[in-house]
Amino acid sequence: MAEKYYVGKAHWKSILNGWMEKYSVIAPQRENGGLFFQPVSPENSTTIVYNEARAVQPLKSFLTPPLSEMTGDVAKSEKPWLFLGVKACGLAALPILDQAFGGDFPDPYYQQKREESLIVSTDCSVPLETCFCTMVGGNPYPVKSFDLNLSQVWDGFIIEVGSLRGKELLEGHDRSLKEVVKEEEEAQKKIRAKAVADIKTYNKNFSFDESVASVVAKSWDSPVWKKHSETCVECGACNHACPTCHCYFLDDVTRKDFVKLRGWDACQYSGYAVTAGGGTPRPKLFERFRNRYFCKFKYLKDNYGMLGCTGCGRCFEGCQGEIDMRAALSDLNK
Amino acid sequence: MMNPYKSQKAVIEDIIQETENIKTFCLKPEKPFAYRCGQFAELMIPGVGEGPFAMSNPAHQPEKLQFTIQNVGYMTSRLHNLNKGDVLGLRGPYGNGFPVEEFYGKEVLLVIGGVGFPPARALLYSLLKEKSKFKRIIMCYGARTPGDIVYKYQIDEFKKDIELLMTVDKATADWKGTEGVVTVLLDKVKVDLANAVSVVIGPPIMMKFATLKLLEVGFKSKDIYLSTERKMYCGIGQCRHCMIDSLFICKDGPVFTYKQLENLPDIWE
Repeated sequence: MAEKYYVGKAHWKSILNGWMEKYSVIAPQRENGGLFFQPVSPENSTTIVYNEARAVQPLKSFLTPPLSEMTGDVAKSEKPWLFLGVKACGLAALPILDQAFGGDFPDPYYQQKREESLIVSTDCSVPLETCFCTMVGGNPYPVKSFDLNLSQVWDGFIIEVGSLRGKELLEGHDRSLKEVVKEEEEAQKKIRAKAVADIKTYNKNFSFDESVASVVAKSWDSPVWKKHSETCVECGACNHACPTCHCYFLDDVTRKDFVKLRGWDACQYSGYAVTAGGGTPRPKLFERFRNRYFCKFKYLKDNYGMLGCTGCGRCFEGCQGEIDMRAALSDLNK
Repeated sequence: MMNPYKSQKAVIEDIIQETENIKTFCLKPEKPFAYRCGQFAELMIPGVGEGPFAMSNPAHQPEKLQFTIQNVGYMTSRLHNLNKGDVLGLRGPYGNGFPVEEFYGKEVLLVIGGVGFPPARALLYSLLKEKSKFKRIIMCYGARTPGDIVYKYQIDEFKKDIELLMTVDKATADWKGTEGVVTVLLDKVKVDLANAVSVVIGPPIMMKFATLKLLEVGFKSKDIYLSTERKMYCGIGQCRHCMIDSLFICKDGPVFTYKQLENLPDIWE
């Protein structure tokens, strides 16, 4: 049985204030109509958006930034990150990043950030119309991979402890933590069920579930790739916005000796796989388009044992060609 | 924790002009660079770029590395402008290498095209180091023209130890040997198919036709070993540029049997 508490609004404030002293708290704030992970200070701590859908940025923007130097010292942070308000679809991406940047040649920068950072996730009670986590094996509420999870219920939170470090975050707040009562649990259940139902409604025109992975794997020659890539402008936004995409290039553009940079790359770029002689395995746009689907639904699954799609919908939220992955997957599934 | 992105330094001790556009760079690394033949390294020109290259020196000489490199693009053209004494970055070795032990007791047929010879030479050195373990060592080597043949100064020496057949796509007046692509040599070689393996290294198009020819001759796909190449940055199974389907060339390869690849799409691109 998971360790759970209820904390009211007033007590929550003091817990959060305590965290801000020890950690760089990063949480979703509303900006230009979207939610963005922002550093939290006492000044903006009251405007954190806890229960709405995932932020615009995926967590990878912090753990493996768009451009970073890979040859400097691996520094321990004075104030490690505490990510507050990560959604289940964000947590689902972490095991892929952990494996990609772990393994035989671990990335020491990623490892350092990952190990020192804390994650306090929150339920997603207000899904977006682009959300489809439930169709790729997920749910709009976290069940694992967090230190603590918060479910907003009435004027407070049900806090679920997910790790020893999470438990430590609650140290000294014993008097603020109440036992969760039945009514609170029922309210949580209702809110969660409502979110699931909303996602279902938003996706009523699409028909696939996580088994679509095996359909994708058999659809190399499908006409779907050409059809759905017609409006693709190869901007790479789908790659960059994706919480699991992690392809990178290494470069020495600093023109300094023995300084190496790493930057996000995108398999939708025509130059992505071009070799010294000018050849590429994917010269055509639809081939590069297909590659992203194969990577999400076959290659990453083969490599790391899980789908590379968490249903966050970022890839088509940011798509200039308005290409909806759900439509392509539904088409394949016909 | 080790930083896998950091390179050690390697000084260019000598440069051998092999052909008009191929040079062999002899490097002395800061620290001995032990490797298995068929593995590769990431060579870096400080401030310019980095790329994967196969070693061509004997694997048991980790203090004297050799890379034989054709001038074909941005990085290689800059490599070709370097001089003795210049310092390069070096990291690795990466990849699986050739499973030489699996070749014990067998006839080993190398089918090599162009600058596939450098990694093939490293393999030859390893095979010759324990020559008695192999029943036969045969190499079919094809170059574009006689002027494109690398390691000319070693050919006679290799001919003493192995059966070496050569061909050029386009002969010149002074060429007395075979003319035609490397597959024409395979018609001249008779091997004991029940007890033979083949190794194919070269440009993609050559590897494709050499593999098809080997299958036609009767080789089983599990007995055809291919040294593959693709665009690559990290060399350590992270950046995903080199993938063929779910396989990382840098980590699962670069050496695959054709059996591992035969059902995958676009393997020759």
